[in-house]
Amino acid sequence: MIRYESQKVAQYYLGLSLVLFCLQVVMGLWLAVNYAFTLPQGLVDVFSFATARAIHTNTLVAWMLLGFMGGTYFILPLECKRELFSTKIAYLQLLIFAVTAVAAVIGFLFGWTQGKPLLEIPVPLDFLIVVAALLFVANVAMTIIQAEEKSVLQWMLLAGVTFLAVLYLFGMPFFKDLNVDYYYWWWVIHLWVEGAWELITAAIAAFIIIQVTGVERKVVEKWLYVETGLFLFTGLVGTGHHYYWIGSPDYWLWWGGIFSAMEPLPVALMVLDTWLHIKERKNPIVNPLLWTYIMGLAIFHFLGAGVFGFIHTLPPINYYTHGSQITVSHGHLAFFGAYALLNLVVFYFAMPQLKGIEKFEDRLGVWGFWTMVIAMVFMGVVFGVAGVLQTYIERIMDIGYSTAHMAMMFWFRVVIFFGLIFLTGVLMTVYHLFTLKKAVA
Amino acid sequence: MTSNTAKTIFWLGTLSSAVIFLWLTYDFHQQEPKFVKADQISEQVIAGKKVWHKYNCNDCHTILGFGGYYAPDMTKAYYRLGENNIISIVMNPEKVYKNSFRKMPHLGVSKEEALQIVAFLKWVGTIENRHWPPQDEKFIKAYKLREANAQKLNKVDIVMGACGGCHSFEKMGRKLAGDFNDIAKRISYDRDILAKFIINPQSVKPDVGMPAQDVSPETAAIIADFILSLKIEKEVQR
Repeated sequence: MIRYESQKVAQYYLGLSLVLFCLQVVMGLWLAVNYAFTLPQGLVDVFSFATARAIHTNTLVAWMLLGFMGGTYFILPLECKRELFSTKIAYLQLLIFAVTAVAAVIGFLFGWTQGKPLLEIPVPLDFLIVVAALLFVANVAMTIIQAEEKSVLQWMLLAGVTFLAVLYLFGMPFFKDLNVDYYYWWWVIHLWVEGAWELITAAIAAFIIIQVTGVERKVVEKWLYVETGLFLFTGLVGTGHHYYWIGSPDYWLWWGGIFSAMEPLPVALMVLDTWLHIKERKNPIVNPLLWTYIMGLAIFHFLGAGVFGFIHTLPPINYYTHGSQITVSHGHLAFFGAYALLNLVVFYFAMPQLKGIEKFEDRLGVWGFWTMVIAMVFMGVVFGVAGVLQTYIERIMDIGYSTAHMAMMFWFRVVIFFGLIFLTGVLMTVYHLFTLKKAVA
Repeated sequence: MTSNTAKTIFWLGTLSSAVIFLWLTYDFHQQEPKFVKADQISEQVIAGKKVWHKYNCNDCHTILGFGGYYAPDMTKAYYRLGENNIISIVMNPEKVYKNSFRKMPHLGVSKEEALQIVAFLKWVGTIENRHWPPQDEKFIKAYKLREANAQKLNKVDIVMGACGGCHSFEKMGRKLAGDFNDIAKRISYDRDILAKFIINPQSVKPDVGMPAQDVSPETAAIIADFILSLKIEKEVQR
């Protein structure tokens, strides 16, 4: 049921992405075990928390990016009304990306890292990633350039993926000054998640909403302009909320605080427009689960990234919450809400079409969705409880790291409990996606 | 709202924020050297930063609050632990944390690398970052008081400033190497031996995990007095 042959490249991207998703969650559970129990020295020596964390976060980034790239390759022919510029480039790029990812993970196990959190991939492998990214951007750009009809969505996507690729470069050099190092580290991390990624995902989400609801393109595009405009307006200067405690001039507190406090605004608009478009739909609801995911994405994005981000973005609060488990809680809710769910929207939009299924049997998928969402809400709450406890013991009562972390051990056992439920939800969802079947009429 | 209005909002929002952000970035580079005392970034400090990256320290420890939240923040670690303790910990974590609820991997850090890490952390500690993290401010205060005039300090300040990185006393310090009340009850050393032990623990008890402490014989004596005073269950003079 796909309209263009070249859309098929997406299925390998999406498949690999789902496998890495599972690996990420398993590794996350292992990290929780590290927190919850005292591990023997011999085990810590060969497989440290640091290594496991590098795998947890890098598989996260990898499955996100694979989802974005696969999603882009799937929708681009539809949006441009032509085949992709080159499927060979698309496969080559995937091969480079996959080989680099595998090499990186094996490297981590032997301590081969760049030693920067979240950007652990060593510089030689970074160059391979840059090559893959350039191939991707070129392929997308050429497809758009050769399209007969131009659209807002096309160039929004192109701008997003280009911005994403350029920002990655700022994480590669060695800075002798730690403060400058982290200044540009946030150009990758913050400007990705609150800039480039928002552009890409907003464009993908807008496309899927147009396709699924049948709402007039012009209306959706207007919302898209306003939302991405606000994302970048608040998000760019909002980077300052990471610069409060690195050694910076005082005005960062004001610029960073005020702009980042406005960051929930565009996400709130997204909830509103998704709701309106679903209400004013022109198409019948064929696969209710896809619609559930679309609405779930908007709401969870708003709560996890928007509201929870707002709660601790102002300097007087951030002074106490910075670098604690409260950040962990926010990170999990925000990434799941804004990006994991977006990817799952893409999967549930694209994978049935790739299999030629119009209406799929969704029982297991529905279970998967609710299991994941509920488990993640609880995980967020429990991380939050641990974080408040940690902050209170360590920074208000001023007792110390060990006391705080020993008090948190119990809560991490609770995290393991909900993490296992989350993993069950993930496995149900992934299995469901890999074995989609036609619904019995 | 027309499409053009929406488009205008996009460009206005994006470009105004980008201009402000780039200007702030320019100004950051102008002002940043005085916050980090850039002239103090020596070759040794840079080598230390490379060691910091080499062993991926940052995925367990935070620094400036960024990184893994698993192990203590390292921004002000120099003040909290001091040179000798940092060296012992990074070279032999399995000994130092033998009885700890949490372990640090033995990474094979050489003595040279350990000294470089110390230089790096010493420099990081001087970054003016609005007194973050809050929990380490007390160590900086104690360090500065000790440096200024050790003899006028009260005993608890001296002891917790120097030893609180591992030992606890009542609700202060870290519960890693035992509480001073328990230690006082357990040991049978006299004042001189205890002072000698503090300066070089292995000279008294060869297999002990505690690192040598970089304190003067006078300070060691004050600490010894303090510990021994706990033996006779007398109110400590605070």
